[in-house]
Amino acid sequence: MKLLLRSVRIIDKASPWHNQVKDVLVEHGTIARIGDQLEAETAQVKEGNGWCVSPGWVDMRVASRDPGFEHKEDFRSVREVAARGGFTDVLMLPNSRPVVDSKGTLNYIRQELREQSVQLHVAAAVTRQAEGVDFTEMIDLHRAGAAAFTDGEHPIQNADILLKALLYLRPLNTLLINRPEDRQLTIFGQMNEGVTSTLLGLKGMPHLAEEMMVFRDLQLLAYALEKNDFEPGTEKPLLHLSLLSTARAVEMVREAKKKGLPVSCDMAAHQLAFDDTAIQDFDTNLKVNPPFRTATDQEALRRGLADGTIDVIVSDHSPHDEESKNLEFDHADFGITGLETAFSLALMHTGLAVEEVVAKLTSRPRQILRLPAVSVVEGSAACLTIFEPEAEWTFTRSYSKAKNTPFLGQTLRGRVHGILNQGQARWF
Amino acid sequence: MTQLSVRHLLGIKNLTENDIHTILDTANQFKEVINRPIKKVPSLRDITIANVFFENSTRTRLSFELAEKRLSADVVNFSASGSSVKKGETLLDTVNNILAMKVDMIVMRHSSPGAPHYLSSRIPANVVNAGDGTHEHPTQALLDAFSMREKLGTLVGKKVAIIGDILHSRVALSNIFCLQKLGAEVMVCGPTTLIPKYIGELGVKIGHNVREALQWCDVANVLRIQLERQQIKYFPSLREYALYFGINRQMLDELDREIVLMHPGPINRGVELSSDAADSQHSIILNQVENGVAVRMAVLYLLAQQ
Repeated sequence: MKLLLRSVRIIDKASPWHNQVKDVLVEHGTIARIGDQLEAETAQVKEGNGWCVSPGWVDMRVASRDPGFEHKEDFRSVREVAARGGFTDVLMLPNSRPVVDSKGTLNYIRQELREQSVQLHVAAAVTRQAEGVDFTEMIDLHRAGAAAFTDGEHPIQNADILLKALLYLRPLNTLLINRPEDRQLTIFGQMNEGVTSTLLGLKGMPHLAEEMMVFRDLQLLAYALEKNDFEPGTEKPLLHLSLLSTARAVEMVREAKKKGLPVSCDMAAHQLAFDDTAIQDFDTNLKVNPPFRTATDQEALRRGLADGTIDVIVSDHSPHDEESKNLEFDHADFGITGLETAFSLALMHTGLAVEEVVAKLTSRPRQILRLPAVSVVEGSAACLTIFEPEAEWTFTRSYSKAKNTPFLGQTLRGRVHGILNQGQARWF
Repeated sequence: MTQLSVRHLLGIKNLTENDIHTILDTANQFKEVINRPIKKVPSLRDITIANVFFENSTRTRLSFELAEKRLSADVVNFSASGSSVKKGETLLDTVNNILAMKVDMIVMRHSSPGAPHYLSSRIPANVVNAGDGTHEHPTQALLDAFSMREKLGTLVGKKVAIIGDILHSRVALSNIFCLQKLGAEVMVCGPTTLIPKYIGELGVKIGHNVREALQWCDVANVLRIQLERQQIKYFPSLREYALYFGINRQMLDELDREIVLMHPGPINRGVELSSDAADSQHSIILNQVENGVAVRMAVLYLLAQQ
């Protein structure tokens, strides 16, 4: 494949051509040349007004429904929506059926993951069945290619389990991801606890439930590193807190980073699109966990993104079939599909400049996940996302098997035109 | 008679003050009807109503059924026990099957907050909420308001204390909306664990001392302790609840003026209310039940006009 990207703005702070409009020539899956008015010759030419190119984006939080729940999403469909969302790499949570808690299951999934334009990385469970009780064989899973460890949709409740997992994983130079939620405080909870939940008679999930666990996890991390040749620095963290949603949670991570704790965190792209007052009509497409919080929390999340406290923006892609969503509110499952809309929502709601949004979608998650760095420079592998930040588009059709998104039919800003990876291209 | 601004009665929150007055005024006329020797009018002769109850109920279902029969509607009853719900049928399928048999209105009780709202946006029939989980119970609030208005003349400036399990009560929320729209002042009172954290932002006073609440109010609306809806522990024992939050005759007699005592039923005698209080001259509990039929007749009649 020989491909010329004509007059594209390079968005990559690690590249000497950052923010410059250049021609980029890709040959045999490698960036062959970057320059002005390059000869196209036999190359396929792609160009468009206002197009940008950056290293391929990474989504650190995608619910894996395959194997076990292929009617919600399978490998093929998740690749399709990831590509359309501009992602060349996604990290899949281990909450399939069976749970990714043994080398056998991991290998079964990895054999599906042949070289394609979207690379699927697999996180293995910390505990068997992700039930939070007995450890999985973590060294074995790590050697077999587990990209990170997490119980995924099940936050680790037992402090001792989390502590021991941190201690055990630390020498492996890998990552433990935990979503902070004290499930005793959120039992039967349906949405953020506040005036709206009171008005709707829905059981609330207090912000405290998240903050207690952020506090606990940070304390456990510090304790795990005591007397244990502590290396300050957050470049390659040991603990990654996923889906922060409250003001105090952001504040606590900010303080921990100041002290040099090896911690990083992310938030969902949709978290800023709604606050809890949006649930007035019991729309189950707005039922997510963590729930939509208050305007004050959203402001704190924006500040956390701006000052780097929040490292990464994730889609938290959680596909569900209609049977799990077209129900009474408290019977419906949590989650919305996010891969197709994550970039647009991040651009529209975070207040960040394009290059900052892109950094939180590519360079930072690559560092945190210990993936090879990619850059828009000559000689680098062509792992690229091509997009147009100013373009508006209407989300008329989702390519996910699931349709649980509140954004269908909406006009969004920030459009993905294609991805290049592993010598393959996808154009939209 | 005037019309309502809504097609469904989903909750008091969706009603205007005018709607509430229309319903109460209409109920006044129906109360006269049900006290005649022939207690029936032909108003809904061509209408079929299904009472769809996914939660146990005795008085609300009976009250609706009598209201429907007094209006000459055809009535069918469906209750969840032994029904297809246990076979895994969805709410929407269950109701659509009932509607396929040419039913015009659905009166529904359901354990999920918002279930009638969900239904109303997906079916052509009128929906009346007969209680949705811990959300609303609009006809109860309307009959409470009717009974208070009947006893006190007006609700403007009157003080109403809602005492007991506010957290699990759909009656509390509907009553707060209704009373505020009619110009009354509302206090909620109970153990701190049974008062929703954010309820003060609805503009109600919050109290934890029952004697003080009784002293403050013109009307005490005492709620049932919803043991069946408490899957988590909120207070240590019924004994302690009765001792520190229950109301007895002596407490009422010690007040410097007479207050009105209400309860939506069923009463846990000896828990939230002692028998001598429930049966005292303060109590209008049985009037509430009588008025319930008239108010529900008004609601069904007015919705059928839409």
